[in-house]
Amino acid sequence: MPTITIDGQTIEAPAGAMLLPVALENGVHIPHYCWHPKLSIDGSCRMCQVEVEGSPKLVIACNTPIRDGMVVRTKTPAVENTRRGVMELLLVNHPLDCPICDKAGECLLQDYSYAYGSRRARTREPRRKLEKRKEIGPRMILDQERCILCRRCVRFTREITKTNELGVFNMGDHSVLDILEDKPLANDYSINTADVCPVGALESKDFHHKLRVWFLKKTESVCPSCANGCNITVHHYRDRIWRMMPRRNDAVNDTWMCDHGRLNYKHVNSTDRLRQPLLRRNGQLEACEWNEALSNAASALRQAARDTAGRSIAAVASPHLTNEESFRFGQLLRNLGVGRIDVAVVVGKSDDLLIKAEKAGNARGARDMGLVAGGGVPAILEAAAKGEIRVLYVCGPDLWQTTDRQQLEQTLANVDCLIVQDTVRSPLAERAHVVLPSLTFAEKSGTFTNVAGRVQQLHQAINPPEGQLGDGEIFSRLLAQITEGPPTFDPAAVLGEIAQAVPAYAGLTLEKIGSQGWQPTAGDTSAPAGASV
Amino acid sequence: MATRTITIARPRPVPQGGTLGTWLFGFRALLKGIAVTNRHFLRNLWGFIRRKPTVFTVQYPEQRFPFPNAFRGMPVLVQMDNGKERCVACGLCEWACPTDCITIYPAETEDEIERHPDVFDINMSRCMFCGLCEEACPEEAIVMSHNVEIGAFSRRGTLWHKEDLLIPVSQLDPRLQHIRRNYDR
Repeated sequence: MPTITIDGQTIEAPAGAMLLPVALENGVHIPHYCWHPKLSIDGSCRMCQVEVEGSPKLVIACNTPIRDGMVVRTKTPAVENTRRGVMELLLVNHPLDCPICDKAGECLLQDYSYAYGSRRARTREPRRKLEKRKEIGPRMILDQERCILCRRCVRFTREITKTNELGVFNMGDHSVLDILEDKPLANDYSINTADVCPVGALESKDFHHKLRVWFLKKTESVCPSCANGCNITVHHYRDRIWRMMPRRNDAVNDTWMCDHGRLNYKHVNSTDRLRQPLLRRNGQLEACEWNEALSNAASALRQAARDTAGRSIAAVASPHLTNEESFRFGQLLRNLGVGRIDVAVVVGKSDDLLIKAEKAGNARGARDMGLVAGGGVPAILEAAAKGEIRVLYVCGPDLWQTTDRQQLEQTLANVDCLIVQDTVRSPLAERAHVVLPSLTFAEKSGTFTNVAGRVQQLHQAINPPEGQLGDGEIFSRLLAQITEGPPTFDPAAVLGEIAQAVPAYAGLTLEKIGSQGWQPTAGDTSAPAGASV
Repeated sequence: MATRTITIARPRPVPQGGTLGTWLFGFRALLKGIAVTNRHFLRNLWGFIRRKPTVFTVQYPEQRFPFPNAFRGMPVLVQMDNGKERCVACGLCEWACPTDCITIYPAETEDEIERHPDVFDINMSRCMFCGLCEEACPEEAIVMSHNVEIGAFSRRGTLWHKEDLLIPVSQLDPRLQHIRRNYDR
């Protein structure tokens, strides 16, 4: 492997690697705009110029392959002067929009302007007037004045989505980023262009003028919207989610995520959330205390288990449960002797980039935890239609969304006690006898298993209202009422139980999962965290 | 280590009680004090009757003292001539505020200035008049006014909304001049 020296530091790097990523990985920060770890090299911003011994002029680090014995200096007066010059030219036409720009606070131009910018402009000419607030797609806004023409977004639409919506039109200092009139930026990954934009030229409509980014707190999590399990960071403030951003994981989602997943957080902040358990009294659903609701559910389950040894109980688990919760649910159902269990999953469209057909984060995990037995949902509905099912325990909204409404309603009429556990008010909950409100992915910790079997961690981002129980706690309390076990639920401890009880997850610990996930079959393939984007 | 004892001369304690002489001395001092008070009282009374006061008393609230421009009263929002706020809801004052008394919810407008605060609340029971919001503001949109009469009968009354905080720019000109002169912009 070639050995190079950057600022006196000796670094070994694979042959053929470019100077900029090698420097970034070794802790030498070289300012850059147009270079992105997952896009091709453009070399248009000229910000990453460094001094290489033997080279008559400065070279751009992003497009200079390393060679053995190379001596690089990144902090010499010539380099600093060049950076100041590049910054001045980039800022010639950049509007003074920082107070109203959504990127302010995480803007590379702002950061480098503090480091290398001048406080005064030397130009007397007016700044270039271009189109602002241009709607370029259903989810994106373009501000042409702010664009520094790094072409990251252009390369994104060319190389990643292969849809070619964005382009730089005209030449020289008339260059402008735009779309063709009849082709809006409407692909399924369009908001990623706002992430790759180093300035505030491309902005997500959803986050436009919502909140200053420096107020946001960040929690690492996993996207719950499909089986791909894209790594994300939940940005939250005042116990509300404001946006979700992709987090780099080269084994799952590189640095991207789809628009649907990104915008699928509204139900967490929704006013339709179930906040109190409901119990059917005289045909009406009424709010009640947790103890009352749980003991009602437990006694219905216990009664049915005693009378028919569990044959008259069926359960439909949610693919939105974490592995730990699914495991606890499995324990509860096994204790009752339930033989008919299934996981209802909404299936939608998929593509070859990230979007998977199963529209839930942990369908595979729920199946791995043994929540599939006795013929699945069709068998459950058939048995219920014959009147064999007395108690039906449904978690999540998926059963209502995947089954034929009419058939389901007729079936439910035959069930004596329908227990529904969900986060928002739903038509299914309206027909329930006991409704147990639960928590969304952002309000609980645990692990999800994606479609490829990779186990990844969710962390609790926002605090649920006081007194609200998560799915795991509900199962644990029901289990405690039936078997007099411990009513507490600690995800980390349950993961230990899973590691012992489920062969595919043997030896699994939170440390092994880390921030990048763990592949049980292929051993420990968790990739080291890459350079920051 | 050997210890060493030193003797410090302390002042003699003042004798309690005392002689007839000390009593008389004290009584004379008391009369002197009463005489000063009475002299001022009578002189003020005479001046008040003649309507030519000889001492300086501001008859608040009928009379008010004009504050200097450097004075920091409650923060207010600058209202432009078109009746709208100058604030663009950039959130820098919210960030700078050491007591977290400012709450802003930004929103988009159709005007040329595309952003404005939908909600701009200042919790005056927390504000400590430090003026950091004014110093942080890039738009000269929030300034410290001369208003100090912000008492309220309830906690809710100490919460000031955007509509209450807006003051026309013409009334705030001296303070704006002052901050332009004194802050490094």
